[in-house]
Amino acid sequence: MKVKDVPQDDSFVQPDRDVNLCGRLFALDDDGKYQEVPSAGWSPRNEAVRFAWNSRKEEAGQVREKVLSGKYSPLAFHMARAMMTSGMMAGYTGFSRRNINKFCKPKHFASLDSEALSKLAGALNMSVEELISID
Amino acid sequence: MEINFEHGHGAHCESAVVRNLLNFYGIRLSEPMVLGLGAGIFFCHLPFFKVSGYAMTSFRYISGRIFSDVTKTLGIEYRKHSFKDPDDAMAKLDEVLLGGTPVGLRVGMYNLTYFPKEYRVHFNGHNLCVIGKDGDDYIISDPIGQNKNKLSAADLKKVRYAQGALPPNGSMYYITSTKNCKPLNAGMIEKSIIKTCYNMTHIPLPMFGAKGIAYLARRMRKWEKLFGKRGAALNLAQVIRMLEEIGTGGAGFRFMYAAFLQEASELLNRPGLNQFSMELTAVGDLWRDFSYNAARFFKQRDPEGLTYEDLAVKLEVISARELDIFKRLENSIKHG
Repeated sequence: MKVKDVPQDDSFVQPDRDVNLCGRLFALDDDGKYQEVPSAGWSPRNEAVRFAWNSRKEEAGQVREKVLSGKYSPLAFHMARAMMTSGMMAGYTGFSRRNINKFCKPKHFASLDSEALSKLAGALNMSVEELISID
Repeated sequence: MEINFEHGHGAHCESAVVRNLLNFYGIRLSEPMVLGLGAGIFFCHLPFFKVSGYAMTSFRYISGRIFSDVTKTLGIEYRKHSFKDPDDAMAKLDEVLLGGTPVGLRVGMYNLTYFPKEYRVHFNGHNLCVIGKDGDDYIISDPIGQNKNKLSAADLKKVRYAQGALPPNGSMYYITSTKNCKPLNAGMIEKSIIKTCYNMTHIPLPMFGAKGIAYLARRMRKWEKLFGKRGAALNLAQVIRMLEEIGTGGAGFRFMYAAFLQEASELLNRPGLNQFSMELTAVGDLWRDFSYNAARFFKQRDPEGLTYEDLAVKLEVISARELDIFKRLENSIKHG
Protein backbone atom coordinates (compact mmCIF):
# COMPACT_ATOMS: atom_id res chain seq x y z
CA MET A 1 0.00 0.00 0.00
CA LYS A 2 1.23 3.48 -0.87
CA VAL A 3 1.12 6.42 1.53
CA LYS A 4 -1.30 8.26 -0.74
CA ASP A 5 -3.70 5.26 -0.65
CA VAL A 6 -4.02 5.25 3.15
CA PRO A 7 -7.78 5.56 3.70
CA GLN A 8 -8.93 8.71 5.47
CA ASP A 9 -12.48 8.66 4.15
CA ASP A 10 -15.05 7.14 6.41
CA SER A 11 -14.41 8.08 10.01
CA PHE A 12 -17.08 6.07 11.74
CA VAL A 13 -15.86 6.57 15.26
CA GLN A 14 -16.03 10.13 16.54
CA PRO A 15 -14.07 9.73 19.75
CA ASP A 16 -13.90 12.22 22.61
CA ARG A 17 -11.45 15.04 22.12
CA ASP A 18 -9.45 13.94 25.18
CA VAL A 19 -8.96 10.38 24.01
CA ASN A 20 -8.52 10.81 20.26
CA LEU A 21 -8.52 7.17 19.24
CA CYS A 22 -6.97 6.66 15.88
CA GLY A 23 -5.67 3.83 13.74
CA ARG A 24 -2.16 3.79 12.36
CA LEU A 25 -1.11 2.12 9.14
CA PHE A 26 2.21 1.21 7.65
CA ALA A 27 2.54 2.26 4.02
CA LEU A 28 5.25 2.69 1.38
CA ASP A 29 6.36 6.16 0.31
CA ASP A 30 7.64 7.00 -3.19
CA ASP A 31 11.15 5.71 -2.44
CA GLY A 32 9.82 2.31 -1.34
CA LYS A 33 10.44 3.03 2.36
CA TYR A 34 7.87 2.20 5.04
CA GLN A 35 6.23 5.10 6.87
CA GLU A 36 3.73 5.19 9.73
CA VAL A 37 0.60 7.10 8.74
CA PRO A 38 -2.36 7.82 11.07
CA SER A 39 -5.58 6.71 9.41
CA ALA A 40 -9.01 8.18 10.14
CA GLY A 41 -11.04 5.22 9.01
CA TRP A 42 -11.79 2.81 6.22
CA SER A 43 -15.26 2.00 4.93
CA PRO A 44 -15.05 -1.86 4.70
CA ARG A 45 -14.02 -2.10 8.34
CA ASN A 46 -16.72 0.33 9.42
CA GLU A 47 -19.30 -1.59 7.37
CA ALA A 48 -18.31 -4.75 9.28
CA VAL A 49 -18.62 -2.97 12.65
CA ARG A 50 -21.95 -1.40 11.68
CA PHE A 51 -23.30 -4.70 10.40
CA ALA A 52 -22.35 -6.59 13.58
CA TRP A 53 -23.79 -3.76 15.68
CA ASN A 54 -27.12 -3.67 13.81
CA SER A 55 -27.59 -7.43 13.85
CA ARG A 56 -26.95 -7.40 17.58
CA LYS A 57 -29.72 -4.81 17.97
CA GLU A 58 -32.06 -6.93 15.85
CA GLU A 59 -31.35 -10.01 17.96
CA ALA A 60 -31.99 -8.07 21.16
CA GLY A 61 -35.27 -6.83 19.61
CA GLN A 62 -36.38 -10.39 18.98
CA VAL A 63 -35.63 -11.33 22.57
CA ARG A 64 -37.58 -8.26 23.70
CA GLU A 65 -40.67 -9.52 21.85
CA LYS A 66 -40.36 -12.80 23.70
CA VAL A 67 -40.02 -10.98 27.02
CA LEU A 68 -43.23 -9.10 26.26
CA SER A 69 -45.01 -12.34 25.43
CA GLY A 70 -43.88 -13.80 28.76
CA LYS A 71 -41.42 -16.39 27.50
CA TYR A 72 -38.23 -14.82 28.89
CA SER A 73 -37.40 -12.52 31.80
CA PRO A 74 -35.92 -9.00 31.32
CA LEU A 75 -32.51 -10.44 32.22
CA ALA A 76 -32.45 -12.34 28.91
CA PHE A 77 -33.03 -9.08 27.00
CA HIS A 78 -30.29 -7.19 28.83
CA MET A 79 -27.87 -10.07 28.32
CA ALA A 80 -28.65 -10.18 24.60
CA ARG A 81 -28.14 -6.41 24.36
CA ALA A 82 -24.78 -6.61 26.13
CA MET A 83 -23.79 -9.70 24.06
CA MET A 84 -23.26 -11.65 27.27
CA THR A 85 -23.46 -15.41 27.33
CA SER A 86 -24.65 -17.24 30.43
CA GLY A 87 -21.05 -18.37 31.02
CA MET A 88 -19.78 -14.78 31.13
CA MET A 89 -22.64 -13.70 33.34
CA ALA A 90 -21.83 -16.58 35.69
CA GLY A 91 -18.21 -15.44 35.85
CA TYR A 92 -19.17 -11.85 36.71
CA THR A 93 -21.83 -12.66 39.32
CA GLY A 94 -20.69 -15.88 40.96
CA PHE A 95 -23.91 -17.72 40.18
CA SER A 96 -23.68 -21.00 38.29
CA ARG A 97 -24.42 -21.05 34.57
CA ARG A 98 -27.42 -23.22 35.20
CA ASN A 99 -28.83 -20.68 37.63
CA ILE A 100 -28.32 -17.83 35.15
CA ASN A 101 -30.25 -19.79 32.53
CA LYS A 102 -32.96 -20.34 35.13
CA PHE A 103 -33.16 -16.59 35.90
CA CYS A 104 -33.87 -15.99 32.20
CA LYS A 105 -37.32 -17.50 32.84
CA PRO A 106 -39.93 -15.07 34.26
CA LYS A 107 -41.02 -17.39 37.09
CA HIS A 108 -37.55 -17.73 38.61
CA PHE A 109 -36.63 -14.10 37.92
CA ALA A 110 -39.64 -12.93 39.95
CA SER A 111 -38.50 -14.93 42.96
CA LEU A 112 -35.03 -13.27 43.17
CA ASP A 113 -34.23 -11.22 46.29
CA SER A 114 -32.74 -7.73 46.17
CA GLU A 115 -29.17 -8.92 46.83
CA ALA A 116 -29.19 -11.26 43.85
CA LEU A 117 -30.77 -8.57 41.66
CA SER A 118 -28.10 -6.02 42.56
CA LYS A 119 -25.40 -8.58 41.73
CA LEU A 120 -26.90 -9.18 38.29
CA ALA A 121 -27.40 -5.43 37.73
CA GLY A 122 -23.79 -4.71 38.74
CA ALA A 123 -22.46 -7.18 36.17
CA LEU A 124 -24.49 -5.42 33.44
CA ASN A 125 -23.46 -1.89 34.61
CA MET A 126 -27.01 -0.82 35.39
CA SER A 127 -29.28 -0.14 38.35
CA VAL A 128 -31.83 -2.64 39.66
CA GLU A 129 -34.68 -0.47 38.31
CA GLU A 130 -33.18 -0.62 34.83
CA LEU A 131 -32.71 -4.37 35.12
CA ILE A 132 -36.36 -5.14 35.84
CA SER A 133 -37.67 -2.88 33.05
CA ILE A 134 -37.09 -3.48 29.33
CA ASP A 135 -36.79 0.04 27.94
CA MET B 1 1.60 10.43 41.43
CA GLU B 2 2.62 10.04 37.83
CA ILE B 3 5.72 8.39 36.41
CA ASN B 4 7.60 10.43 33.83
CA PHE B 5 6.59 8.13 30.97
CA GLU B 6 6.66 9.08 27.32
CA HIS B 7 3.29 8.10 25.86
CA GLY B 8 3.49 7.03 22.24
CA HIS B 9 0.65 6.33 19.83
CA GLY B 10 1.01 2.95 18.16
CA ALA B 11 -0.48 0.70 15.53
CA HIS B 12 -0.88 -2.44 17.63
CA CYS B 13 -1.65 -2.46 21.34
CA GLU B 14 0.87 -5.01 22.59
CA SER B 15 3.87 -4.12 20.46
CA ALA B 16 3.33 -0.42 21.20
CA VAL B 17 3.08 -1.07 24.96
CA VAL B 18 6.33 -3.06 24.84
CA ARG B 19 7.99 -0.32 22.75
CA ASN B 20 6.89 2.36 25.25
CA LEU B 21 8.05 0.26 28.22
CA LEU B 22 11.47 -0.36 26.66
CA ASN B 23 11.68 3.33 25.76
CA PHE B 24 11.16 4.17 29.45
CA TYR B 25 14.30 2.17 30.25
CA GLY B 26 16.26 3.88 27.48
CA ILE B 27 16.11 1.05 24.92
CA ARG B 28 14.91 2.59 21.68
CA LEU B 29 13.32 0.15 19.23
CA SER B 30 10.73 0.85 16.56
CA GLU B 31 7.32 -0.78 16.74
CA PRO B 32 7.85 -3.08 13.71
CA MET B 33 11.15 -4.20 15.27
CA VAL B 34 9.34 -5.13 18.49
CA LEU B 35 6.73 -7.08 16.51
CA GLY B 36 9.45 -8.85 14.52
CA LEU B 37 11.60 -9.74 17.54
CA GLY B 38 8.51 -11.03 19.32
CA ALA B 39 7.57 -13.17 16.27
CA GLY B 40 4.16 -11.54 16.42
CA ILE B 41 2.75 -12.37 12.97
CA PHE B 42 0.65 -15.51 12.74
CA PHE B 43 -2.58 -16.93 11.45
CA CYS B 44 -5.05 -19.35 12.96
CA HIS B 45 -8.71 -20.14 12.47
CA LEU B 46 -10.30 -22.26 15.19
CA PRO B 47 -13.96 -23.12 14.46
CA PHE B 48 -14.31 -25.05 17.74
CA PHE B 49 -13.06 -22.17 19.90
CA LYS B 50 -15.66 -19.43 20.07
CA VAL B 51 -15.01 -15.77 20.88
CA SER B 52 -18.30 -13.97 21.52
CA GLY B 53 -20.15 -16.62 19.56
CA TYR B 54 -17.97 -16.76 16.44
CA ALA B 55 -15.04 -18.94 15.46
CA MET B 56 -11.76 -17.46 16.61
CA THR B 57 -9.63 -16.03 13.81
CA SER B 58 -6.32 -14.57 14.89
CA PHE B 59 -3.62 -12.77 12.93
CA ARG B 60 -1.19 -12.58 15.83
CA TYR B 61 0.41 -14.93 18.31
CA ILE B 62 -1.04 -15.41 21.81
CA SER B 63 -1.36 -12.13 23.71
CA GLY B 64 1.62 -11.68 26.04
CA ARG B 65 4.14 -13.55 23.90
CA ILE B 66 5.60 -10.44 22.27
CA PHE B 67 6.58 -9.03 25.67
CA SER B 68 8.17 -12.21 26.97
CA ASP B 69 9.96 -12.98 23.68
CA VAL B 70 11.41 -9.49 23.24
CA THR B 71 12.60 -9.21 26.84
CA LYS B 72 14.11 -12.71 26.83
CA THR B 73 15.89 -12.04 23.54
CA LEU B 74 17.38 -8.79 24.81
CA GLY B 75 18.32 -10.31 28.19
CA ILE B 76 16.00 -8.05 30.21
CA GLU B 77 14.59 -9.38 33.49
CA TYR B 78 10.85 -9.15 33.99
CA ARG B 79 8.07 -10.43 36.23
CA LYS B 80 4.59 -11.59 35.29
CA HIS B 81 1.76 -12.12 37.73
CA SER B 82 -1.86 -13.20 37.66
CA PHE B 83 -4.13 -13.40 40.67
CA LYS B 84 -7.21 -15.26 41.80
CA ASP B 85 -8.37 -12.46 44.08
CA PRO B 86 -9.08 -9.04 42.45
CA ASP B 87 -8.10 -7.16 45.65
CA ASP B 88 -4.68 -8.84 45.69
CA ALA B 89 -4.24 -7.86 42.04
CA MET B 90 -5.01 -4.19 42.75
CA ALA B 91 -2.78 -4.15 45.86
CA LYS B 92 0.16 -5.59 43.88
CA LEU B 93 -0.41 -3.05 41.10
CA ASP B 94 -0.32 -0.18 43.62
CA GLU B 95 2.81 -1.56 45.26
CA VAL B 96 4.76 -1.85 41.99
CA LEU B 97 3.42 1.48 40.70
CA LEU B 98 4.44 3.36 43.86
CA GLY B 99 7.95 1.94 43.40
CA GLY B 100 8.13 3.99 40.20
CA THR B 101 7.72 1.13 37.71
CA PRO B 102 5.23 1.37 34.82
CA VAL B 103 3.10 -1.77 34.64
CA GLY B 104 1.64 -3.43 31.55
CA LEU B 105 -1.78 -5.05 31.90
CA ARG B 106 -3.85 -7.40 29.78
CA VAL B 107 -7.49 -6.36 29.99
CA GLY B 108 -10.90 -6.98 28.46
CA MET B 109 -12.24 -4.26 26.18
CA TYR B 110 -15.90 -4.31 27.18
CA ASN B 111 -15.71 -2.03 30.23
CA LEU B 112 -12.99 0.33 29.01
CA THR B 113 -15.04 3.48 29.49
CA TYR B 114 -12.89 5.77 27.34
CA PHE B 115 -13.49 3.64 24.24
CA PRO B 116 -16.43 4.50 21.95
CA LYS B 117 -19.36 2.16 22.39
CA GLU B 118 -18.96 0.51 18.98
CA TYR B 119 -15.52 -0.82 19.84
CA ARG B 120 -16.43 -2.23 23.23
CA VAL B 121 -16.70 -5.95 22.53
CA HIS B 122 -16.00 -8.94 24.75
CA PHE B 123 -12.40 -9.34 23.68
CA ASN B 124 -9.81 -10.08 26.35
CA GLY B 125 -6.55 -9.48 24.51
CA HIS B 126 -6.11 -5.73 24.82
CA ASN B 127 -2.90 -4.38 26.39
CA LEU B 128 -2.32 -1.08 28.11
CA CYS B 129 0.17 0.46 30.47
CA VAL B 130 -0.59 1.99 33.89
CA ILE B 131 1.73 4.89 34.62
CA GLY B 132 0.30 6.68 37.63
CA LYS B 133 -2.39 7.12 40.21
CA ASP B 134 -4.33 10.31 40.81
CA GLY B 135 -6.60 9.96 43.85
CA ASP B 136 -8.95 7.13 42.93
CA ASP B 137 -8.15 7.29 39.22
CA TYR B 138 -5.38 5.48 37.41
CA ILE B 139 -3.50 7.20 34.61
CA ILE B 140 -3.45 4.92 31.58
CA SER B 141 -1.16 5.04 28.58
CA ASP B 142 -3.23 3.21 25.95
CA PRO B 143 -1.33 3.20 22.64
CA ILE B 144 -4.57 3.25 20.61
CA GLY B 145 -5.30 6.75 21.99
CA GLN B 146 -3.19 9.72 20.96
CA ASN B 147 -3.33 11.08 24.53
CA LYS B 148 -3.20 9.59 28.02
CA ASN B 149 -6.45 8.45 29.61
CA LYS B 150 -7.91 8.06 33.06
CA LEU B 151 -9.79 5.09 34.44
CA SER B 152 -11.36 4.75 37.89
CA ALA B 153 -10.15 1.99 40.21
CA ALA B 154 -13.53 0.20 40.07
CA ASP B 155 -13.47 0.17 36.25
CA LEU B 156 -9.86 -0.99 36.16
CA LYS B 157 -10.72 -3.86 38.49
CA LYS B 158 -13.59 -4.79 36.19
CA VAL B 159 -11.53 -4.81 32.99
CA ARG B 160 -8.73 -6.77 34.67
CA TYR B 161 -11.26 -9.41 35.66
CA ALA B 162 -13.25 -9.47 32.40
CA GLN B 163 -14.97 -12.77 31.68
CA GLY B 164 -15.39 -14.70 28.46
CA ALA B 165 -12.88 -16.48 26.25
CA LEU B 166 -9.28 -16.33 27.58
CA PRO B 167 -9.99 -14.27 30.74
CA PRO B 168 -7.01 -12.08 31.77
CA ASN B 169 -7.30 -12.95 35.50
CA GLY B 170 -5.64 -9.70 36.48
CA SER B 171 -2.45 -10.49 34.61
CA MET B 172 0.25 -7.84 34.85
CA TYR B 173 3.86 -7.59 33.66
CA TYR B 174 6.74 -5.23 34.31
CA ILE B 175 10.48 -4.96 33.78
CA THR B 176 12.60 -5.47 36.92
CA SER B 177 16.14 -4.97 35.70
CA THR B 178 17.97 -4.02 32.50
CA LYS B 179 21.55 -4.46 33.74
CA ASN B 180 22.16 -7.59 31.58
CA CYS B 181 20.61 -6.00 28.52
CA LYS B 182 22.42 -6.83 25.28
CA PRO B 183 22.36 -4.47 22.28
CA LEU B 184 20.35 -5.57 19.25
CA ASN B 185 22.40 -7.79 16.93
CA ALA B 186 22.02 -9.82 13.76
CA GLY B 187 21.69 -13.17 15.56
CA MET B 188 18.62 -12.02 17.47
CA ILE B 189 16.84 -10.86 14.32
CA GLU B 190 17.70 -14.04 12.41
CA LYS B 191 16.51 -16.22 15.28
CA SER B 192 13.21 -14.39 15.52
CA ILE B 193 12.64 -14.63 11.75
CA ILE B 194 13.27 -18.39 11.88
CA LYS B 195 10.79 -18.67 14.75
CA THR B 196 8.18 -16.76 12.74
CA CYS B 197 8.77 -18.97 9.71
CA TYR B 198 8.32 -22.06 11.88
CA ASN B 199 4.98 -20.73 13.16
CA MET B 200 3.81 -19.88 9.67
CA THR B 201 4.86 -23.04 7.85
CA HIS B 202 5.70 -25.99 10.08
CA ILE B 203 2.93 -26.42 12.68
CA PRO B 204 1.50 -29.83 11.74
CA LEU B 205 -2.20 -28.92 12.07
CA PRO B 206 -4.34 -27.50 9.26
CA MET B 207 -5.69 -24.52 11.22
CA PHE B 208 -2.36 -22.84 11.99
CA GLY B 209 0.07 -20.85 9.92
CA ALA B 210 -0.20 -19.90 6.25
CA LYS B 211 -2.07 -23.11 5.38
CA GLY B 212 -4.68 -22.09 7.96
CA ILE B 213 -5.80 -19.42 5.50
CA ALA B 214 -6.70 -22.18 3.02
CA TYR B 215 -8.48 -23.94 5.88
CA LEU B 216 -10.52 -20.78 6.48
CA ALA B 217 -11.33 -20.78 2.74
CA ARG B 218 -12.61 -24.36 2.96
CA ARG B 219 -14.73 -23.47 6.00
CA MET B 220 -16.03 -20.35 4.24
CA ARG B 221 -17.53 -22.43 1.42
CA LYS B 222 -19.67 -24.28 4.00
CA TRP B 223 -20.82 -21.19 5.92
CA GLU B 224 -24.05 -20.53 3.99
CA LYS B 225 -25.08 -24.17 4.42
CA LEU B 226 -24.15 -24.25 8.11
CA PHE B 227 -25.32 -20.84 9.40
CA GLY B 228 -27.65 -19.48 6.72
CA LYS B 229 -27.13 -16.21 4.81
CA ARG B 230 -27.16 -13.90 7.83
CA GLY B 231 -24.99 -16.16 9.97
CA ALA B 232 -22.44 -16.46 7.17
CA ALA B 233 -22.26 -12.68 6.80
CA LEU B 234 -21.81 -12.30 10.56
CA ASN B 235 -18.94 -14.79 10.53
CA LEU B 236 -17.36 -12.88 7.66
CA ALA B 237 -17.79 -9.62 9.59
CA GLN B 238 -15.92 -11.18 12.51
CA VAL B 239 -12.98 -12.13 10.25
CA ILE B 240 -12.86 -8.59 8.77
CA ARG B 241 -12.96 -7.06 12.24
CA MET B 242 -10.03 -9.19 13.40
CA LEU B 243 -8.16 -8.30 10.19
CA GLU B 244 -8.72 -4.55 10.09
CA GLU B 245 -9.85 -3.40 13.55
CA ILE B 246 -7.65 -0.60 14.86
CA GLY B 247 -4.61 -2.35 16.25
CA THR B 248 -3.14 -4.31 13.35
CA GLY B 249 -1.25 -1.68 11.35
CA GLY B 250 -3.23 -2.70 8.27
CA ALA B 251 -3.99 -6.08 6.65
CA GLY B 252 -3.60 -8.12 9.83
CA PHE B 253 0.03 -7.15 10.66
CA ARG B 254 1.27 -7.97 7.15
CA PHE B 255 2.31 -4.37 6.48
CA MET B 256 3.92 -4.04 9.89
CA TYR B 257 5.92 -7.23 9.42
CA ALA B 258 6.98 -6.05 5.98
CA ALA B 259 8.22 -2.84 7.64
CA PHE B 260 10.21 -5.02 10.07
CA LEU B 261 11.79 -6.97 7.21
CA GLN B 262 12.77 -3.69 5.55
CA GLU B 263 14.35 -2.41 8.77
CA ALA B 264 16.15 -5.74 9.24
CA SER B 265 17.51 -5.64 5.70
CA GLU B 266 19.16 -2.29 6.46
CA LEU B 267 20.49 -3.41 9.85
CA LEU B 268 21.87 -6.73 8.57
CA ASN B 269 22.86 -5.25 5.21
CA ARG B 270 20.94 -7.95 3.32
CA PRO B 271 19.08 -6.54 0.29
CA GLY B 272 17.31 -9.90 -0.11
CA LEU B 273 15.17 -9.21 2.95
CA ASN B 274 13.88 -6.01 1.35
CA GLN B 275 12.71 -8.14 -1.59
CA PHE B 276 10.70 -10.31 0.84
CA SER B 277 9.33 -7.14 2.39
CA MET B 278 7.97 -6.00 -1.00
CA GLU B 279 6.44 -9.44 -1.64
CA LEU B 280 4.73 -9.39 1.76
CA THR B 281 3.44 -5.89 0.97
CA ALA B 282 1.85 -7.31 -2.18
CA VAL B 283 0.17 -10.02 -0.07
CA GLY B 284 -1.06 -7.30 2.30
CA ASP B 285 -2.63 -5.55 -0.69
CA LEU B 286 -4.41 -8.82 -1.53
CA TRP B 287 -5.78 -8.92 2.03
CA ARG B 288 -7.06 -5.36 1.60
CA ASP B 289 -8.69 -6.40 -1.67
CA PHE B 290 -10.31 -9.34 0.14
CA SER B 291 -11.79 -7.10 2.85
CA TYR B 292 -12.93 -4.58 0.24
CA ASN B 293 -14.88 -7.29 -1.58
CA ALA B 294 -16.14 -8.89 1.63
CA ALA B 295 -17.64 -5.56 2.71
CA ARG B 296 -20.14 -5.87 -0.15
CA PHE B 297 -21.81 -8.68 1.81
CA PHE B 298 -22.59 -6.20 4.60
CA LYS B 299 -23.88 -3.41 2.37
CA GLN B 300 -26.30 -5.57 0.41
CA ARG B 301 -27.48 -8.92 1.68
CA ASP B 302 -27.12 -10.44 -1.80
CA PRO B 303 -24.29 -8.77 -3.71
CA GLU B 304 -24.49 -9.37 -7.44
CA GLY B 305 -21.75 -11.46 -8.97
CA LEU B 306 -20.02 -12.23 -5.68
CA THR B 307 -20.25 -15.46 -3.74
CA TYR B 308 -18.37 -16.99 -0.82
CA GLU B 309 -16.69 -19.19 -3.44
CA ASP B 310 -15.02 -16.08 -4.95
CA LEU B 311 -13.79 -14.94 -1.53
CA ALA B 312 -12.51 -18.46 -0.78
CA VAL B 313 -10.51 -18.47 -4.03
CA LYS B 314 -8.94 -15.12 -3.03
CA LEU B 315 -7.94 -16.61 0.33
CA GLU B 316 -6.41 -19.67 -1.33
CA VAL B 317 -4.22 -17.43 -3.49
CA ILE B 318 -3.11 -15.52 -0.35
CA SER B 319 -2.41 -18.80 1.46
CA ALA B 320 -0.22 -20.15 -1.34
CA ARG B 321 1.75 -16.90 -1.60
CA GLU B 322 2.36 -16.56 2.13
CA LEU B 323 3.44 -20.20 2.38
CA ASP B 324 5.89 -19.63 -0.46
CA ILE B 325 7.26 -16.38 1.03
CA PHE B 326 7.88 -17.77 4.50
CA LYS B 327 9.44 -20.99 3.16
CA ARG B 328 11.90 -19.07 1.00
CA LEU B 329 12.55 -16.59 3.81
CA GLU B 330 13.48 -19.44 6.14
CA ASN B 331 15.80 -20.95 3.53
CA SER B 332 17.51 -17.66 2.84
CA ILE B 333 18.20 -17.09 6.56
CA LYS B 334 19.34 -20.65 7.25
CA HIS B 335 21.49 -21.14 4.16
CA GLY B 336 22.73 -17.61 3.63
